[in-house]
Amino acid sequence: MDAATNAEKIAVSGFRHFFDTEDGPVQATGVVDLKIRAGEFVTLVGPSGCGKTTLLKAMAGFIRPTEGTIHCDGKLVTKPGRERGVVFQELAILPWRTVRRNIGHGLEIAGVPKVEREEKVTRLIDLIGLGGFEDRYPHELSGGMRQRVAVARTWAADPDVILMDEPFAAVDAMTRLTLQEELGRLCVATRKTVFFITHSVDEAVFLGDRVLVMTRRPGTIKAEIDIPRRAAGGRDWESFTTDVEMQGIAERVLKLVRAERGLTPAEEARAAAGAGA
Amino acid sequence: MSLVSVQHAPAARPIPVPTGWAVAARQLRSVKILFPFIVLVAIWWAIQAAGNFPDRVLVSPQRVFDTMVLLISRGVIAEYVSTSLKIIGIATAISIVVGVPIGFAVGANRYAARSLEGFLRFLQGVSGIAWLPLIIIWFGFTHATTLAVVVYTLIVPIIFNTMIGTRAIPEHYGLALRSLGAGRLRLITDVYLPGALPSIVVGLRLGMGYGWRALIAAEMLVRQGGLGDLIFGARTSGQIDRIIGGMIIIGTLYLLIDRLLVQPIENLTIARWGVLRK
Repeated sequence: MDAATNAEKIAVSGFRHFFDTEDGPVQATGVVDLKIRAGEFVTLVGPSGCGKTTLLKAMAGFIRPTEGTIHCDGKLVTKPGRERGVVFQELAILPWRTVRRNIGHGLEIAGVPKVEREEKVTRLIDLIGLGGFEDRYPHELSGGMRQRVAVARTWAADPDVILMDEPFAAVDAMTRLTLQEELGRLCVATRKTVFFITHSVDEAVFLGDRVLVMTRRPGTIKAEIDIPRRAAGGRDWESFTTDVEMQGIAERVLKLVRAERGLTPAEEARAAAGAGA
Repeated sequence: MSLVSVQHAPAARPIPVPTGWAVAARQLRSVKILFPFIVLVAIWWAIQAAGNFPDRVLVSPQRVFDTMVLLISRGVIAEYVSTSLKIIGIATAISIVVGVPIGFAVGANRYAARSLEGFLRFLQGVSGIAWLPLIIIWFGFTHATTLAVVVYTLIVPIIFNTMIGTRAIPEHYGLALRSLGAGRLRLITDVYLPGALPSIVVGLRLGMGYGWRALIAAEMLVRQGGLGDLIFGARTSGQIDRIIGGMIIIGTLYLLIDRLLVQPIENLTIARWGVLRK
């Protein structure tokens, strides 16, 4: 893994997507070129409907790009694969499986023997603080706990790349802060390559090594901002909000996002409110 | 909404020790179920007694009861019943094995689902019995004909409800699993089957109801054994007691199949899945 740290993990080149509708094709994104290095945490922030999710879905292999190519480790992406895990905004863990069986699902599919699977799952459950809830069903958990399970399920399958589509958008504000801190720590600990979509500027700056700003639809990447390296233990919101440098960056990104004409007042308010939206 | 209350059901609740009152209450409940039957028999008895009808028109409940005891004790009923049960059993098995995969295939494909919905409703309108003339021409007066009619009747609600159940499964469940490396078979066993199960069971229960009726009707025309044959055959010799006795058995058997077999399966899935699906 370490040898490949600076290697290019994901390469999106000349990507452009159109959706077929009854009124003819609708352009979902502009031309997007993007490279993500191994172990990098890239966040993409942009207004609603700019095509962020379309880009992520194409990277996941759920849709074929109308134009351009996406490569992962030099291989052309044509379909979903276990080297590219996805965490969705909507609840995507299975309601008829317990916490343990959900988290171990990827390992089960990969044919990992039960003993080894249980060991790994137990470790992850401890890591995400769900000890004692192993045999509960998702409907018995809070929204934050469910999303922890979804994140843990993806991590358990040990993909090289993790694609996250506003995973914390449906969680209450307080829980979200905790989840963001936990995710930061988890990424520092596991050195995964992460592509994370959000419309919260603070979230993008807090989590990312690099923040990409997308224009409104049809979205293209209009700016990219490098974020100073995180401390070894990841970030926490207390130091983030008092860090002058980080706040300066957040302000810059916010300006870039707000400059996108076509934002509705509600979207502007949401972007301005940032992590607390 | 009522499903929610099932959530904290049996296991958690302390089991009450049956007291004299509880036993009495339970007996009262079973009387309540029997009450409409008792009223019906009473009316029948009264009409029969008042009208003094000849045996070729109407016989007394007592007479029907005696005939039933006789037919049961001689094993006549058992033979007709086993013929009917065998066919409904085979038809159910075929319909599940064939219908559920078709339902998945149609449900998983948005375009197929939309185009087939109307077609399936059309088939529901053309009842199994309406197919009988054609099927008799093809298969003759055989068990195969009866079976074909029952399968046709049973399988449409199963396909339809499997399709509905499959379409109700959120798209993300499948996408998430595919990005965990799941293939088609995995998607079926881990997402479609558990996700659509409550709906499949509803389809099964509906189908069994329609199928049972189609079975009796087909047996009356095919005349190769079964309860429909029993009552239709009795008509030619004017045996009113056999006809009514047969009808009682037809209704009772369906009630038993539904209450002791299908409904418990439905309750089990809905009690568990209804809560889990949220």
